[in-house]
Amino acid sequence: MTGTMVPERVREVVAGPATNQPRRLLRSRRRAGLLMVAPALLHALIWIGIPLVAAVVLSFTSYDVLTPPRFAGLDNFRELVHDDVFRRAVLNTSVYTFFTVPVAMTIALLIALMLNSKLTGRAIFRTAIFIPQVTATIAVALVWLWIYDPRSGLANAILSFLGLDGPNWLSSTSWAMPAVIMVGIWQGIGLKMLIYLAALQSLPGELYEAASVDGASKVRQFFSLTVPLLKPATFFVFVTSVIGAFQSFDQVYILTDGGPANSTTMMTYEIYKSAFREFRMGYACAQSLVLFALLLMLTLVNRRITGGDRGSR
Amino acid sequence: MAVVDGVRRVRAGRIALYLTLGAISVVMIVPFVWMLLTSVKTPADIAAFPVRILPTKWAFGNYADALQAAPFATYARNSFVIAASHTVLNVVIASMAGYALARLRFRGSQLIFLGFVGALMIPTYTKILPEFLIVRFMPLFGGNDITGQGGTGWLDTWWALIIPGAVSPFSVFLFRQFYLDLPVELEEAARLDGLGELGIYARIMTPLVKPAFITVALLTFEGSWNNFLWPLLVTKSDSLRVIQVGLSVFRTENDTQWAFLMAGTTLATVPMVVLFLIGQRYFVQGFATAGIK
Repeated sequence: MTGTMVPERVREVVAGPATNQPRRLLRSRRRAGLLMVAPALLHALIWIGIPLVAAVVLSFTSYDVLTPPRFAGLDNFRELVHDDVFRRAVLNTSVYTFFTVPVAMTIALLIALMLNSKLTGRAIFRTAIFIPQVTATIAVALVWLWIYDPRSGLANAILSFLGLDGPNWLSSTSWAMPAVIMVGIWQGIGLKMLIYLAALQSLPGELYEAASVDGASKVRQFFSLTVPLLKPATFFVFVTSVIGAFQSFDQVYILTDGGPANSTTMMTYEIYKSAFREFRMGYACAQSLVLFALLLMLTLVNRRITGGDRGSR
Repeated sequence: MAVVDGVRRVRAGRIALYLTLGAISVVMIVPFVWMLLTSVKTPADIAAFPVRILPTKWAFGNYADALQAAPFATYARNSFVIAASHTVLNVVIASMAGYALARLRFRGSQLIFLGFVGALMIPTYTKILPEFLIVRFMPLFGGNDITGQGGTGWLDTWWALIIPGAVSPFSVFLFRQFYLDLPVELEEAARLDGLGELGIYARIMTPLVKPAFITVALLTFEGSWNNFLWPLLVTKSDSLRVIQVGLSVFRTENDTQWAFLMAGTTLATVPMVVLFLIGQRYFVQGFATAGIK
């Protein structure tokens, strides 16, 4: 984020400190500024600020929407600790995130490297790989639901063509999660590839020429130059992808409804179920705060490991 | 000899590269092809075992029949109205805010900007429950009294579908980044010419960041068209249903009508694919600089 501050500093140098300007002008600018930011600010206060505070407050209550909330102290959190299904959801979310983030990022980087060369038809490949990203998760999950159909679906048709017996994908406790993960990778890989590709194209060519002259092999160049230079992109892709993966909901809603036997339920799905199937808003809010806390923790840990987003853009 | 070997090795490498990329692209596209093929199959072809890849009879009438089986056209229209409203509102409100935060620095503007950045980190699922409650207890709407009791508030209304998504902190953030890069001299010259701050924003600076507007507009439209959970939570009646919710309801109510379902899915995905192909440059730019869906 520090990189984005530079234009401001440049601007200050060019324009001089604000205090040198006439008072009248300053006042009119402040008024205009407040006026222009007001609608967005008001909207954010109502639809983000209040909800955030309300989520924290409600997490200490028992609330079914129909009768007023009752203060419940730490009951919701105490219950959470012993909630086996929610623990399963945390585990599932972690497994899903591991495969759709670090694993998919590695694949995306490899594809980006392949595309980052003079290649006829590069735009076609890039478009094909990116298209799943722009289509609705609900719609494509329905297509995959049909692909995973054990009898008439495409997946098992291909497997049987190869002489293999396909599993009952979504109704099997061992195959449902891999099936959901495959959809996640399929849909998310395009965006990661694209960001890596953009980052690769902005790498300084001179460094590589110098490295070649010094006799560094391609592999050596990749690990000593490309990987460190891509750190800001990696941090960015990681954080945004984790935020996305932690909040996956639509594909589970369509493909498995969290089953079979909770093998694919996610934190988001448990929040949804607590709130809108069991009408336990307080408990759902407590669950949603756990989701928030885990996300923050992951972001901070990653910032530590990769040295943060220092030097980004 | 060594040179020939080298050339041969390079050529083999090229072929391997093309084959790998080709295979990956096919995997990405096949689900869409399968969707299109299914949407024009007869029930007999769909139920056939072993699976038939191509239809024996091309049933293009499926599309008309699907529109009869469920009001997919209404759903698509609703999605369009909501996505278009979100696009216009976001572009206008967020660009003003982004401009003010980038160029008109006033006391508190830094704090407000940090607030918007912080808001990006808050998960949808933490906000969505209280947001639902705000909509449900919206005072003086839907039979509610001044304290928000007695009725259903904004539930099952256009308000609930449009207002909460009218501005996203992400759009504000993007616009601010785009406005930051403009030269300060332009602004000063316009000020000397006696143009007010709103005039400078609307007439001088905004025309210079047109690509930013297209990027934010496309991303907003796409996000809104593809949104599912919020419309699912706040609407009940068929006439307000959006396409994504309509599809999921159709699936649970008509369990095995795959041809109709795939026709509906085609209707839900094709507009976004076309939009992407047309505005690819802006999508790529937007996603690459922003990265968040």
